[in-house]
Amino acid sequence: MSAPRFFEADGRRMSRATILLLMGPFFALVIFAFLYPLGNLLSISVLEPQPTLEHYQRVVENPVYGRVLMRTLQIALLVGLLSLALSLPVAVLMANSRGPKAILLTACILLPFWSSVLVRTAAWAILLQRNGIINQSLQFVGITDEPIRLLYTQGAVVIAMTHVLMPFMVLPIYGALRNIPGDYVRAASICGAGPLRSFWEVTLPLAMPGILGGFILVFLTALGYFITPALLGSPQEMMIATLISQQMRENLDWPFAAALVGVLTLIVTVITIAFSKVFRFERMLGARV
Amino acid sequence: MNARSLLLNAYVYAVLVFILLPILIILPMSFSESNYLAFPPEGFTLRWFQSYFGDARWMAATWFSVRIAVLTAITTAVIGTMATYALVRGAGNMGTLFQALLIGPIVVPHIALAVALYLFFQSTGLSGTTLGYVLAHSLIAMPFTVFTVAAALSSVDPALEDAAMSCGASRFTAFRLITLPMILPNVFAGGLFAFIISFDEPVIAFFLAGIRDKTLPRMMFDDIEQNLTPVIPAIAVLLTLLSIAVLIGAGLLKRMADRRAAGVQES
Amino acid sequence: MPREASLPTNGASIDIRSLEKQFGTVRAVDDVSLTVQAGEFVALLGPSGSGKSTVLMSIAGFERPTAGQIVIDGQDCTRLPPHKRNIGMVFQHYTLFPHLNVADNVAFPLKMRGVPKGERRRQAEAALETVRLAGYGDRMPKQLSGGQQQRVALARAIVYRPRVLLMDEPLSALDKNLREEMQIEIKRLHSELGLTVVFVTHDQGEALTMADRIAILKAGKLQQVSPARELYERPSNLFAASFIGEMNMLPVDWDGNRARLVEGEEIILPRNASIAPVKSGRAVLAVRPERLTYGRAGTDGTWAATVRDVVYAGAGTLIIANLADGTEVRLRVPSAGQHPVSPGDRIGLTCPPEALLLYPEAEA
Repeated sequence: MSAPRFFEADGRRMSRATILLLMGPFFALVIFAFLYPLGNLLSISVLEPQPTLEHYQRVVENPVYGRVLMRTLQIALLVGLLSLALSLPVAVLMANSRGPKAILLTACILLPFWSSVLVRTAAWAILLQRNGIINQSLQFVGITDEPIRLLYTQGAVVIAMTHVLMPFMVLPIYGALRNIPGDYVRAASICGAGPLRSFWEVTLPLAMPGILGGFILVFLTALGYFITPALLGSPQEMMIATLISQQMRENLDWPFAAALVGVLTLIVTVITIAFSKVFRFERMLGARV
Repeated sequence: MNARSLLLNAYVYAVLVFILLPILIILPMSFSESNYLAFPPEGFTLRWFQSYFGDARWMAATWFSVRIAVLTAITTAVIGTMATYALVRGAGNMGTLFQALLIGPIVVPHIALAVALYLFFQSTGLSGTTLGYVLAHSLIAMPFTVFTVAAALSSVDPALEDAAMSCGASRFTAFRLITLPMILPNVFAGGLFAFIISFDEPVIAFFLAGIRDKTLPRMMFDDIEQNLTPVIPAIAVLLTLLSIAVLIGAGLLKRMADRRAAGVQES
Repeated sequence: MPREASLPTNGASIDIRSLEKQFGTVRAVDDVSLTVQAGEFVALLGPSGSGKSTVLMSIAGFERPTAGQIVIDGQDCTRLPPHKRNIGMVFQHYTLFPHLNVADNVAFPLKMRGVPKGERRRQAEAALETVRLAGYGDRMPKQLSGGQQQRVALARAIVYRPRVLLMDEPLSALDKNLREEMQIEIKRLHSELGLTVVFVTHDQGEALTMADRIAILKAGKLQQVSPARELYERPSNLFAASFIGEMNMLPVDWDGNRARLVEGEEIILPRNASIAPVKSGRAVLAVRPERLTYGRAGTDGTWAATVRDVVYAGAGTLIIANLADGTEVRLRVPSAGQHPVSPGDRIGLTCPPEALLLYPEAEA
């Protein structure tokens, strides 16, 4: 990842020693609370009880764990695609709105950013429970005769995770759309393209970095998501984060939990580096402001 | 409005309903007299708020979280501003390293970080301590603070500091009297973001919690998992109010920053 | 000329000794030595990248020289940080602190020196008066025009009576009329306050009108340091000659006594035509366009030329002509009272001997 323009240096006169002194506390924090602990954990996955790759072998070869990994990838992909389907139109409308409507739309998207993940997950737990409002409604309309199991299913996990993560996709797409000069669309329509055509041929390709970036952000976050699957998911259909937690807290199988973390970290790192061109974090984070 | 844009608007408002409705439905439940979470709520009572504010365990967890969040906000704002200042004023090739290390802790899934810290803190006795939480939360809140501060700092002309130094100010005084006042709204905004990130952080809290000291998100997690009492909607009301306050606060700080950048006198 | 010693001055002398600044492999300043007298106004003039700003920033303390010394008022300041040098400085883009009002901006150097608040206020107001902005103290910088902002910057630079005032292209952000007004303003301040001024500019007109002496830099090297008149009339080398004003450069053969134009006349040069000794062989004869006059072709002692273009410009007329070998020569003559010429006319050029300058042939 090359340093983006955002951070372009302009300080011919600050000495290296001063820079190190100013950055020192940050580097100390990262080494102490990130690099060392993670390195330590990953070393356990290959060094205990003796230097070995058997823990990684177990992840790949044991069909139970292979299925967890596949399921995790599928759910993350599904959440990413659903989020895209929900957030693209919102971003388009936001980019084309002015005044009170724009403020309303922005507020509706920003509020979830700043509200607790637990509150939003709890809301779904309450809505989906056995005698919750959704079951009541289904019975009221006559679709079902008795309460059906909604909570602790994969469906619950997918819906709630989409709900939690989707706002993270709106803002990068919105940012990309806003950066497209209006003249491009005007030029397209002078060339004879209708609104849909010019959206498809001009706007969408130009907004692609934002769309792809937002999609990857949601996909990666969903891959390692813990809270929602832990609270709403079925224990029989675990995702990888829940499996890690279980191996560590219940089975106390540290090397294996470490190997699972290793696999997850590897996947995330590879994807991040592969898409580092579109996946510009300051854009994603700036979204939160 | 033609059919196409009508369709777009309808779709978008349906999405917004999907986003907002779950929260809007559970909020009134906090005032319900019923002992279980039913809709529509029955009657009106404040007893769920009372049972939150009156319960020593909830209160202890809340204050524990507040303490961690405040310390995280201060730590992040100070360390983040220092590093960002060095970065924007010329870290050269150290900038790339800085960025990789800044982004690393949030690219890696929180579960991986939480497990790694759990293992490490076990052996160092930091598990469940305020310091342990502040370190972990500072790490994941840092990028938000740094980018907020960097946005302001990169718009401050470095020549202003030169001018201050030519007037007799040392580099530190120049920073304190000239640069810092100009970026201060963003530093506060960065601290605010760090506060709320820490205050709402559930994953690391889940793994690092000791037997006695639990953060508010950890207490909520346990309650949702085990009982799911109407205390949860009551807390949801309070947290949603906090979120709105943060949103408004960030908005006000942004306005203040814009006004300072434009050089308008504050009344 | 340096100010006469009898004139009272509050300025400090600046002694730049063998200054050198290297950025990576680029030598931005290369062995520059320059002594600025107390109370003198010196302009550093040169194209961009000539190192003039680096010299100024080294005096200010923002650049640390790779080698050499900066001595201000007898004190070696080479390693002294900027805030301990007691220098006033005006920057290119005003650089007023946007969050402070005008009075607080001007009072800032006083605050740094621990001057009590009431006294600060009084002195700042006095400084604002000096730059004719009395009563503007409560405004914010953004509420002022560009010219006013630059005057506030000037007030801030002089408020604590520094003995040295540095200016880094202070007028380049202003439009032409304001620029001329500010030039006069700065000159007035210089003579009123008697401080030493070092002024960086790439505008030769500005340098010629304002400075006591002008230092010309090219590629990090000092080319010439002279008062304006000497610089214009007797530039010490071809670069200085071509950088200031217009100059005709005619290739000649030089035998130590006479110069012969290529395919043309022989010219006897006065002894002082060459600023430094010029070896026999190929050389360059330089003459300002306004020193040339023309008459009928073939007259004795004139150089034969053919008119190519005549550009009428009101008071003056520019005539572009070619010598026998095709070398282009420009003449600037008064429009009135001249025998008119048109393209194709053959004319004879004359020039007073003291206007002729001889330089060695330009290095490649």
